[in-house]
Amino acid sequence: MRLYEFESKQLLRKHGIKVPQSILSTSMVSEMPFDGDVVLKAQVLSGGRGKVGAIKLFSDGNEAKDFINRLFGSTVLKEKVKSVLIEKAVATQNEFYLSFLYDTDTKNPIMILSKSGGVDVVELAANGGLVKMPIDLLLGLKEWQARDAAVDAGFSSNIISKIAEFAMKLYSLFLAEDARLLEINPLTLTKDGELVAVGALVELDDDAAYKHKDRIYSPRFVGIGRDLTERELLVKHTDEADYRGSIKFIELDGDIGFLAAGGGGSMAAMDALIIAGGKPANYAEFSGDPPREKVYALAKAIMSKPGLRGLWIVGAIANFTRVDHTMQGVVDALRELKPDYPIVVRRSGPYEKEGLQLLRDVGKEMGLDIEIHGSETQMTATAKTIVEKIK
Amino acid sequence: MGILVDKNTRVLIQGMTGRSGQVALKTMLEYGTKVVAGVTPGKGGQSVENIPVYNSVHEALKKHPEINCTAVYVPPAAAKEAVIEAVLNGIKLVNVITEGVAIQDTVQMVNYAAANGARIIGPSSIGVLTPKECKIGVLGGVKEATDKIYTPGSIGVISKSGGMTNETAWVVRSAGLGQSTVIGIGGDVILGTDFVDLLRMFEKDPQTKGVVVFGEPGGTYEDKIAESIRKKEFTKPIAAFIAGQFAEKLPHGMQFGHAGALIENGRGVPSVKIKLLRDAGVLIAETHDKLGEIIKEAI
Repeated sequence: MRLYEFESKQLLRKHGIKVPQSILSTSMVSEMPFDGDVVLKAQVLSGGRGKVGAIKLFSDGNEAKDFINRLFGSTVLKEKVKSVLIEKAVATQNEFYLSFLYDTDTKNPIMILSKSGGVDVVELAANGGLVKMPIDLLLGLKEWQARDAAVDAGFSSNIISKIAEFAMKLYSLFLAEDARLLEINPLTLTKDGELVAVGALVELDDDAAYKHKDRIYSPRFVGIGRDLTERELLVKHTDEADYRGSIKFIELDGDIGFLAAGGGGSMAAMDALIIAGGKPANYAEFSGDPPREKVYALAKAIMSKPGLRGLWIVGAIANFTRVDHTMQGVVDALRELKPDYPIVVRRSGPYEKEGLQLLRDVGKEMGLDIEIHGSETQMTATAKTIVEKIK
Repeated sequence: MGILVDKNTRVLIQGMTGRSGQVALKTMLEYGTKVVAGVTPGKGGQSVENIPVYNSVHEALKKHPEINCTAVYVPPAAAKEAVIEAVLNGIKLVNVITEGVAIQDTVQMVNYAAANGARIIGPSSIGVLTPKECKIGVLGGVKEATDKIYTPGSIGVISKSGGMTNETAWVVRSAGLGQSTVIGIGGDVILGTDFVDLLRMFEKDPQTKGVVVFGEPGGTYEDKIAESIRKKEFTKPIAAFIAGQFAEKLPHGMQFGHAGALIENGRGVPSVKIKLLRDAGVLIAETHDKLGEIIKEAI
């Protein structure tokens, strides 16, 4: 789970790491809480806020007030601004970059350090200005290692120990809070010679949530870049109400309804559909042998979308998800929504014969335009079939 | 002979009395896998399907010193300790089926295993299968279905996606080929065993004439295949399908698939992976169903 900047900074403060003095505003303001220069930061989850003008420095209180009040209700990087962080500007001498994350090359945590902070890490990497220091998790980060990273990054002798000390504190937070990413950018050296985390981004490991019963973050759906639609909300609630299996649903702009089994399978199927020239009306996936009711809710959400011209129900050869049980949920939705567009099915696995027969029966009974394949046809090959059918 | 498991593999199941442990046990026994013992603390003395349950790995090994592989079916919070217990007791092959293990736990157990000469497959692995010899996990489901998909042959199969492992083995089978060893490596960010580790083993395996790979967005495990080929660590024909290119055509920021499928800082994008692999000589299947024909032609 990605944290908002203000949440990230609360976590830093809890671990004794210095962050700018700040106040979180969740509604219009009538006066500024600080004298002097302030930095206003729209609280949205996407990166790149500075580039789109959602982070700004103000010297004039009235201008700052106007800016905050304009931010509320506006949309930044496809997310509605619900809060603004008002920070007292720090007197900057220099800006650095420091982060911790897990690295797939070394299969260990890694520390990334750069003398030039404040810009995107991708840009830093392109300039070759990054130092990567792999950490042996079993040994932990050694302070001399952190100093080595600082030396390699080109820091001068008088600040190397200070950087290393700061890195040690951050690394223990990274482990203690079960973060997957902890990024300080910029890490600011103030004119008083103090290191302050002026920019902060934390991603927590959801799989470790059970170790942190005190985590109380509001539910969020990072990545969709917009509010959930009514149908998406409905599917989400149905999914959360029952622990058995899982269903996922995201609406898109096309005209072919898409219902797939499995995470990897759904990706392979979406790829094939787009290569075949089809336009998916949604992304949808069920996994882990969900009950009939869940598949029904998902199939209904897909088929309820106006303007559909076809439906593709697709899945690999399952190991243990029962084809008959899950297809029963599809049959329930077919009976209710009576689609008049072509349907192509490819699914295999336990009780395949029974499951596919259910579909054949309901197709015959309702006079549906439905074509059904089992393992004799390759899964992704049926993408072409549905696209041909709606031409 | 498989590269990881074969008819000489003697299997322990940690968490055998749990729901998924029991399902796996039945499936494995039906396939002919030699499961000799299970472990669930506090349930020593019981048995499931006539296979004895012990309180600890130590106790199981005292009675069954022939155990040389363990399948881990414990809940996520117990996975790290279960793996370390197995490795400390000398088991060299640990297949972690458990999903949702905290990343810090995974890194700890992967490091610990590496330091002690043990191999972890997973976490979130669907299992490992050598046709007609040994199956760890539930790949293929019941025996009849498993036999239809899996038959001894010359192609190694490696898949990040558990759900697509059968299908990937099936496109190979449909092209008239069989499989040498089939491995579900799991889709987490940190994997005990990755593509390159297995390619090195397939390189040395005389039965394997070629390998097919099912890759996913995120991480650098696919990228490292290209490096490995350049270093001539792997010289046999290899065909790959990398899922998730469609997501690059959708509005920015949407996420799909597994935990490992997170794309960070521009790394791990499928089109970039595909380019790297193609440049290194990997045969790329544009759609998954083409994998079988491509590898057949190449060998």
